[in-house]
Amino acid sequence: MKYSYIKPRKKSVFSSELQLLFSFFSITIFMLMLTYTFLVFKDYRFSQNTQEIIEKRADLEAGITKMKAQITFIEKEALLYERINTKNTVLKDSIANLFDLVPQRITLSEASLLENGLILYGITPNKDIYNFMLQAPLRSIFHRTYSSFYPAANGWLTFVSTNYIDEDELALTSSKSEMKEELDNEN
Amino acid sequence: MKISISRQSIYLLSLSIFLLIFVLIFSFSVLIPKGKEYREQRNLLNKDRMEVRRYEDFSISTLDKLKELQSENAHSITAFDNSFNSERFEKQHSLHFTTLKLSKKKPLENEDEFAVYEVNTTSSINSPQSFYAFLDSINKGDWVIGINFPINFKRDHELITSSFTMRVYSTQKASVK
Repeated sequence: MKYSYIKPRKKSVFSSELQLLFSFFSITIFMLMLTYTFLVFKDYRFSQNTQEIIEKRADLEAGITKMKAQITFIEKEALLYERINTKNTVLKDSIANLFDLVPQRITLSEASLLENGLILYGITPNKDIYNFMLQAPLRSIFHRTYSSFYPAANGWLTFVSTNYIDEDELALTSSKSEMKEELDNEN
Repeated sequence: MKISISRQSIYLLSLSIFLLIFVLIFSFSVLIPKGKEYREQRNLLNKDRMEVRRYEDFSISTLDKLKELQSENAHSITAFDNSFNSERFEKQHSLHFTTLKLSKKKPLENEDEFAVYEVNTTSSINSPQSFYAFLDSINKGDWVIGINFPINFKRDHELITSSFTMRVYSTQKASVK
């Protein structure tokens, strides 16, 4: 015996409302999880990048330090090279000046250039020529000048001229000139 | 007034509330702090990248300066690196002298970071001009050499015998032959 004319519909635990609710929350949770995964992945990438940056910075720092050391060394080399070249040039000028200083009538047989002095050996026709033409300019250059004469075989005189520059007086003169320059600059 | 809610609706409502609470708790306790952390780290990384770029720029400018110095001082750098060779020296500078002889190569105390060697030299020259030419050429030579006192010139008939010491400067790694 039938009580109804319609067929009974199947009843399910997952009603349409529940399905809707599940699908809504599934999508929401999926999106949240996706965002979370994205953030975790980015976090991992950031830590990797940071590590790379730290290594790169350390490499760059080491490179810069090495290059700076090289620059300092080259600058030192250049400075020393310049100093030596100047010293050689000054020496050349000093020797040239020395030979120019000797008058035609005096003949040098030996010359010794010392750090702070000059020793000359030679012959002169007489003392006056030596005194006026060689000793006078030597006196103007050196602080102490000593001369000794011996008679030579041809009637001329063999002389030994020893000349020294006193380092103390040189330092004093240079400091005085520096002071004078400073005063001139101030004025 | 009586409100009648079916049992199923109550389940549905409780589930919705539970899921909503879960979403909210997850968002506020996990997602938002993580997002903040992400933003902070991104800023930090950008700062680090900028700093590295500054380092790179500085490294490039330092390298340029180094290259410029190296090209400007190429001769002096090579001269310091060259190890002194008496035979080659005599060969190079013999044109300024009638005779040229080097002897006694002795190492001196290091000057700064450079090794210094002293070489005694005896030579014969025709005129002082030859010696001036030698001094000029030594400044352009293969080694860094300073002529040192005492310098002796002695007349020997038509020639002038000269004796002097030379100081050869080189970098530590170079050695005198």
